[in-house]
Amino acid sequence: MTAPKTKELARHRRERIWMWAQLVPVLVVLVVLFGGALVLAVAQSLGFAPWFGVNTFPDFSYFAALWGAWSFWRSLGLTLYYAIVSTGIALVMGIILALAMVRLFPGKTLYKYLYKLPLMIPYTVGIALAVIMLGNGGMLSRLMAFVGLIGDPSEFPQILKTHYGWGIITVYVWKQTPFVTLTLYAVLLGVGRETEEAAAILGANKWQIFFQVTLPQILPGIISSTLIIFAFNIGAFEAPFILGGGYPDTLPVIAWRYFNDADYSLQLQGMATVVSIALIAGGILYSYLALYRRYERRIGRS
Amino acid sequence: MARGSFKTALNSRLSTFQKIYLLLIAGFILGPFIPLVIQSFAFRWAWPDMLPGTWWLEQRENTLMPLAWDYVISPYSRVWEATLNTMFIGTVVTVICLAICLPAARVLSRETFPGKPAFEFFLSMPLIVPEAAIGIALLMIFIHIGLAGTYTGIIIVHLIPTIPYMIRMLTAVYQGLGRDFEEQAMILGANRWQVMWQVTLPMLLPGVVAGALFTFLVSTNIFLLTFFLGQGKIVTLPTLLFSKISGGTLDASAAGITLVVTVPGIILLLITERFIKEEAFGKGFGN
Repeated sequence: MTAPKTKELARHRRERIWMWAQLVPVLVVLVVLFGGALVLAVAQSLGFAPWFGVNTFPDFSYFAALWGAWSFWRSLGLTLYYAIVSTGIALVMGIILALAMVRLFPGKTLYKYLYKLPLMIPYTVGIALAVIMLGNGGMLSRLMAFVGLIGDPSEFPQILKTHYGWGIITVYVWKQTPFVTLTLYAVLLGVGRETEEAAAILGANKWQIFFQVTLPQILPGIISSTLIIFAFNIGAFEAPFILGGGYPDTLPVIAWRYFNDADYSLQLQGMATVVSIALIAGGILYSYLALYRRYERRIGRS
Repeated sequence: MARGSFKTALNSRLSTFQKIYLLLIAGFILGPFIPLVIQSFAFRWAWPDMLPGTWWLEQRENTLMPLAWDYVISPYSRVWEATLNTMFIGTVVTVICLAICLPAARVLSRETFPGKPAFEFFLSMPLIVPEAAIGIALLMIFIHIGLAGTYTGIIIVHLIPTIPYMIRMLTAVYQGLGRDFEEQAMILGANRWQVMWQVTLPMLLPGVVAGALFTFLVSTNIFLLTFFLGQGKIVTLPTLLFSKISGGTLDASAAGITLVVTVPGIILLLITERFIKEEAFGKGFGN
């Protein structure tokens, strides 16, 4: 009686081992690289950097110096402002575009290619396009001169290199609207139109259908795509570096400046900046997800 | 009346607003490329002219090619080097990523085990931790162990943002595959390897191609990690363009490079549109 049982157990154990063997490669890469990077970043920001001859772990002075400075909070505000505004605009534009894309129209195939173009090319291209369109000598400024609104490039309302950040926001929106659209379009294709039809038969008008039927259905897609682009926007470096207004800079740019400083003791300060970015982004995204989960439970979906 | 409102509520054609919106989107996405192309063929384009004052054609006796394109193909611009680097890094990253993600995606789509939700959450973590944080932290380690500024270093670091996408796409593929065909083959007497080579792989192939293309795409788009860990020694198309436009102005040669950097994306767009079904992106994050 015991023999089949041990055999069964052995088979079970073999299967478990085989399963983990398949998971281990990915796990190792992520734990070592990604986890290792996070742990070492935290350790360094707390004063552990023997290779610089610094080892005062645990030492909160780098965080204290960083968080004690008014400029840090201004930079944080600026970082969040660019991230939130562009995520919001990209979301609204993406929803409208996805809703249009599920309909039938001539040239739809062409549009399926067209709207994905920004998704395929690097952010740096988007920045170059912003420079040529929105710069003081750019196409918009020429257009305004052409219709006689301005007579000199200096009269053109400054769009790039200001803290309003419309250049940065435009680049993010240009690049990320397609991402939101693609995610939502996929969800819309997946859920089909039956529930909308049912709502229409029951007498709902198009706004009721959108807010009470379609929106709850695409909400998971909205959450997932905005999480990803928001996180990217907080950590992005190149657009604020090139198109930003200079001091106060966004947090990733500040971290970069600390790291390029000749005074290497500032590198630990930079590490504290980087860890702060991750902490703040993590906190925001976690609360965002938690809020969403609570909503899902409230409507009884999960 | 009732039928009228029903029709407007459930129209499958575009409303006027949507038509205008689609046109505006097309302008927003493609419009900026027009001055870019013009700029790359300009010789002199002073403000406030809507078109270049002097086209390269009128300066033909001085330069054989438009200045921008002459610069792009010359070794000084490093465009050729950056293109080769981008392709090489992207290819190696895709191969490695595929090799380690395929088995994991198989397990994730078919098995349940304690801690699976946490495991899946950890796999998508790289998507939500800012790249700047990872890049700078790794830079310090990589400088220390001599991987900064090497191909190996960049390839390793590209795995971090590509793994979550690859896992998601492959898991979706495996879920769509089902187990029936494999079991059928087993019942008919096929062994593990025969099932793998003659049943699973052929059915998996379209999804694998899609995942590979997408991973390649993500890798060729990465700027920050390449910039930090390449240390200026290894240029790729995004970092090359960054150094060209970091001053905040765009001359003819920068316009030429921008167009070159756009080309791989267009090629990939044409290929992926054929291979990747849009439904594949529907799987929500964190659920």
